[in-house]
Parts: sequence; C-alpha cells; structure tokens
Amino acid sequence: MKKSNNFFIFIFIFFSSVSIHSQFFENLNSSFESYSAYYMDDKKTGDFNQEDRFRSNNYLNLKSNFSKNWYFELQVESYLPKSLLNYSPNFKNTNVSTLKIDYIKNDLNLTIGNFYEQFGSGMILRTWEDKSLGINNSLLGLNANYQLNDQINITTLIGQQKKGFKYSKGYVLGFDSEFDLSKATKNNSTFLLGLSYVGRDDQEVNNRNLKSMTSLFSARVDYSSDSFYTNFEAVQKTNNPILVFGIPSETFIKKGSGFLINTGFFKERLGFDFTFRRLENMSFYSEIQSAGNEYNESILNYLPALTKQHDYSLTNLYVYAAQPDVNFYVEDLMKSGEIGFQTDFYYLIKKDSFLGGKYGTSISLNASLWNNLAGEYDFSNQSYETNLLEFGEKYFSEFSFEVRKKWSDNFENIFLYVNQYYNKRLIELESGIVKSNILVLDNTIKIQNNRSLRIELQHLSTKNDYRNWYAYGLEYNINSDFSVYFNDLYNYDNPNDEKKINYYNFGGSYSKGMNRFTINYGRQRGGLVCTGGICRYVPASTGLTFSVTTSFL
Amino acid sequence: MIKKITSILFLTTLTLNLSISQDKIPFMNIKTIEGRTINTKSLSNKDGLTVYSFWATWCVPCINELDDINKEIEKWKEENVKIIAISTDDSRTKRRVRPMINGKDWDFEIFVDENQDFKRALNITGIPHTIVAKGSKIIYRRIGYKPGEENILYEFILSQNKNSNEKI
Repeated sequence: MKKSNNFFIFIFIFFSSVSIHSQFFENLNSSFESYSAYYMDDKKTGDFNQEDRFRSNNYLNLKSNFSKNWYFELQVESYLPKSLLNYSPNFKNTNVSTLKIDYIKNDLNLTIGNFYEQFGSGMILRTWEDKSLGINNSLLGLNANYQLNDQINITTLIGQQKKGFKYSKGYVLGFDSEFDLSKATKNNSTFLLGLSYVGRDDQEVNNRNLKSMTSLFSARVDYSSDSFYTNFEAVQKTNNPILVFGIPSETFIKKGSGFLINTGFFKERLGFDFTFRRLENMSFYSEIQSAGNEYNESILNYLPALTKQHDYSLTNLYVYAAQPDVNFYVEDLMKSGEIGFQTDFYYLIKKDSFLGGKYGTSISLNASLWNNLAGEYDFSNQSYETNLLEFGEKYFSEFSFEVRKKWSDNFENIFLYVNQYYNKRLIELESGIVKSNILVLDNTIKIQNNRSLRIELQHLSTKNDYRNWYAYGLEYNINSDFSVYFNDLYNYDNPNDEKKINYYNFGGSYSKGMNRFTINYGRQRGGLVCTGGICRYVPASTGLTFSVTTSFL
Repeated sequence: MIKKITSILFLTTLTLNLSISQDKIPFMNIKTIEGRTINTKSLSNKDGLTVYSFWATWCVPCINELDDINKEIEKWKEENVKIIAISTDDSRTKRRVRPMINGKDWDFEIFVDENQDFKRALNITGIPHTIVAKGSKIIYRRIGYKPGEENILYEFILSQNKNSNEKI
C-alpha cells in the first residue's frame, strides 16, 4: 500500500504544478471505468475456492492537449483487492499503466512513454489495449512517425514491452515505411507498398544455438480501384526455439513465416471478399520464456482467427483460435501452423421488390476452412519439413447464412444458420470432433415512446461432445435510458444429468449520455456477451457483477 | 481493505472533480477505406453538423443503428448532416468492412481506425458510440444503442439546426 501512497502524492504534486498552466485543465478530458464482481458458491458448478470473493478492476484515464503541439496521457489502474477472474495475476494493486507525452506538429508525431503501434495487418507487430480481454501490451520507449508529402509514411520505434505493471527485460526495435504510389497508376486507384522490420533482443536467451536477437521482415502491397481490391503480405521470421512441454527447446529451433492474400470486389448492394492465410511457427513474444502463456502477455504480433466473429452465445461455444505455433505433443498429434481461407458474400435485395419488401432484405454468407500444415513430421528427432500449399488435418470449418429483414416500422428480425466442424482433439488436445448445426432467430419489436422488446431464440444440435443446447433471451428497453434482460443457456441433452446446467443471467443497465451503469446476476459460461447495446467478453463464474463507465468532456 | 476502498474513492473523486471544460475532436491520423492515411481534421462538415458513429462489423447493435439511420437517410441529408461511420474493426474483421457496406448500400462516409487510436483519444469505452460535433466542437455523445434511439438523435439535430437558424 505504501507504494500506492507515494504514487498518490506524486499525482497530487503533478496536478498542483500543472494547474499553474491552466490550459492543462481547460483541455482535459477523462474517463473512468470500474468493473466489479462478488463471486458466490454454486451448487451446480462448484464453490468459489479462491481468495477474495469481491474483486474489482478500475481504470482512470486522463488526457490533455496542454500546449499547442503537446499532448499528455495518464492511465492509472487499480485491481483491488484483486483483479477479476481470468485476468493475469500481474495486474495487482494500484499503479500507472500508461504515461506518455506526444509532440505533434504538421506531419511529425513524436511520442515518449507508453505507446500502441501496428505495422501492416499486425502479423509482424501490434501493441494494443483491450480491457475486456485483459490485454495492454504497450511499448514503453520512443516512437517517431513522419509523413512526407502525403506519399511516404515512416515510423521508427524502440521500447520495452509492458507485462502487467512490469516491463520485459528485452528490447523491441521497429521500422515501418509505407509508400503511396497511387499517382503512378491511372484513374482513381490506390496503390500502396509497405516494408517493415521488427527485432526483439532477449538477453535472457542462454543458448549456444541461438542469437539473442530474433528478427521479422515483412513486405506488403495494397491495390484498390472503384470496385475491386487486393492485398498481399509476407513475413519471414529468423530462428526461434520451439516450446517443448512449455519450455523453449535448446535444439528444436526453426524459422517462421506468414503469408496473407486478400481480394474482393463490390458494387451497389453487393460485396464479395476472399482471404487466404498460411502461418508457420509465427507467434512472437518479447520474452521467449513467456511463449504460449494463457493470458497472452508479452505478445508482440496479432494473429487473429480468420472466421466470422459471432454475437450469439451458442455460436460461441466452439470458437476457433488461430493455430500459428509448432507443437509436438505425441506421435499422432503434431502441428506446425495453419493454412486455410475465409470468404464472405453480402447482398441487399432491393426495396420494393418481391423479396426485398418495403425496406430491402440483407443477406450474408460466410465460409471458412482451417487446416494443419501437411509435411514430414519426425517426432523422435523433433524436426519437420512442411509443404508450401498442402492442407493437413482439418482444425475447423464453418458455413453460415444470415438474413436481416425489417417487416414493418415496428418489427424486424435476424435469422442465422451456422454449420460448424470443430476438431477438439487437434485444437484443445481433448478427444473428439464436434459437428454442429445452429439456428438463431433474433426479433426486435418497437413499442411506442422508445420502448422496445428483443426476443432471441437459439438452438445448437450435435451428436458429439455435450450434445444439444438451447438458449433464449428477453431484453426490454423501458425507455432510451433503462434496459432490463433475462437470458438462459441450457445443455438439455447432456448425457450426464448432473451436467444439465442452466446458465441463466438477469440484470439491467442505465445509460445516459456518457455514463453507463450495469448490474448482472447469474452463472457465466464465458464468451462474448452483447446486451443493452454493448458487447464484451465475460469470464466463467457465478455471482453478482456491476460496472460503471463514464467520461467527462 | 479500508485503505483499498479509500483509494478507489480517491480515484472516483479525482475523476469527478476533473469534469470540466469543452471537448474537441482530436486531430490525428486514421485511414480511408482504401488504406490511405488522412488526418481527422479533414473530416468535419463545414456547413453543418457531423455525426461520428463508432462501429464494427461484429457488433450487432452498431449495425442496427446504422441500418436504421440508412433506411431514412434522405431525411437526414435534408438537415445537412454529414454522417461518418468509423470502423474499429481490427485485422481480424476489417476485410469484411468494404463488402459489408456495399452489401448494405450504406450511404455514409466510412473510415478505418484499425488499432483504435481515434477511439482511445476520444475516451470511448465501448461501441456503439455516437458523437455529434459542430466544427470540431463536440456537442453530443451517447454510448450504446437501443431501437428507436436514432429518432432522439435526429430530433437533437433538428433542434440544433433550428437554434442556429434562429440566430441568423
């Protein structure tokens, strides 16, 4: 506690001294977010047997444009008495999370302190903050960005990466350049070329076979015209050790690579998109020792699953996560990355047509397929050689079809069908494959005076794993400020009667302007939950949760 | 425990005490849908109000709001409002932005805030989030969307336009 007292004294002195500079307060804006929970024992899912039933995450952010070209940002976080479940134990007590000063003049932007940055699609570097996922992996150091004639954009950076309230021992260096060559093309098209480098120096590496520096190089091109676009990105990673039973190997050392091709076309009321990606040994951490940690700490690049991001609870039961790593578990379970594609199609049926009705009908299709890399795997000698474009065992596939239709001024609905294939053995190292079909019907009825009722019905059918589920939800928006809801998720077909559990939740929210309060009681499975108009991830637990978020102008 | 609660209270009071002054749209780089870098100072509507709507392709309430506005876009245009939809999709989903807006025939200007720098600079805690600005001065903000709220926003814009007409 002493440490935090010193900190408050520092803050007090800081604000007293800057208050002389009245502009600091005149241009100040702040936000405060607080998420708290009281965890309870649950007869069905078990007792809460950890320390501190009451837990709370609190974030205070202050920003000010305190002088013509100068910007200041401070974020203080408090995890009292402990952080919420599913957050890293490195978030503890009260401390400064972000402190930075920017100098912005014309086309120059200099930052000293904590900063977020992304090169290209993030395959080579991305630092960002997502409070709901407990990610804040900013770099502490220097970042300089310069834009020349609107045609050349250069970024250089150096820093140490944040891990909870601590920092990585190693350094991260980065360089990114982007050239806008559109003027060289005819008509109205855009042509961009990008080249990047990221190096990570981890002095903790104590291995004759490996340098302390790991480097990533990438090149990307982006082309788009009035109705067509295509882009390509390639990344090469120098030698990096493979984790064997969670420990970086001294001898099993491999290079990594990533390729991404994306293309699409569109015209009025129609859009099509296709993405191919291949990743081999591509995850990248600021500390080799942190590789594969469950909280995604020390992660330097962003390799998201390229599948449809769903909004409904049953569509999020079997969610695919990208498989960029090399893992040799047992002889018949060896993986070295992923290869696959995703495609999307959108179409709006015209207003005043037979299928379009008075308002038009939106249709969207999505399909994705992700497989292990095929090749020669040698378990006893710990080595592999992959084939460039050959697909190995299937991890995951999905097909979905969605129709959004407004029937009248007061009634509209969304119909969604999803077919999923989830290889639980290969992804989670558990047994089995889950093939499922999901149906969702989401109805909104507007009543007078800004009142509305939303009724959500979902069903998942599968012969595998825990078999069938249903879910339903009711949300009543009393007026534009107040909203209450009840929803339930039930594994009614579970072969084990004791596992037939109702995951029920009820609560309410109040939002007015920039303030929002929520309260919820129930049993959480965990996953993406969207209610009262806001989406966030929630951890698995039983109890009472409440949140306050507010910003001040 | 008491000390801990005190420090939470301290933070809250500090925040409340700091609730001062006006706010402006910060000037910074974001990307056009084609990937070009542009500054946010070029976004605002010179003759009327600008609505900034922060959304993402995976956020159902965000799409509901933009769909609902788009269905009656003609009446918004009559009020000389410029509607800018800022996609906060990161590289997981940003490829879906262009096909989706065409598939939906949205008549908004769309920009991409891929690493959420603009969203963070505006202290936006969750989406959907809607801001109305006059020049670069923020005059209205709202978090979340419930069916029908587009009408409240529309009425706010009507009242603002009426006020400025009366002044003339």
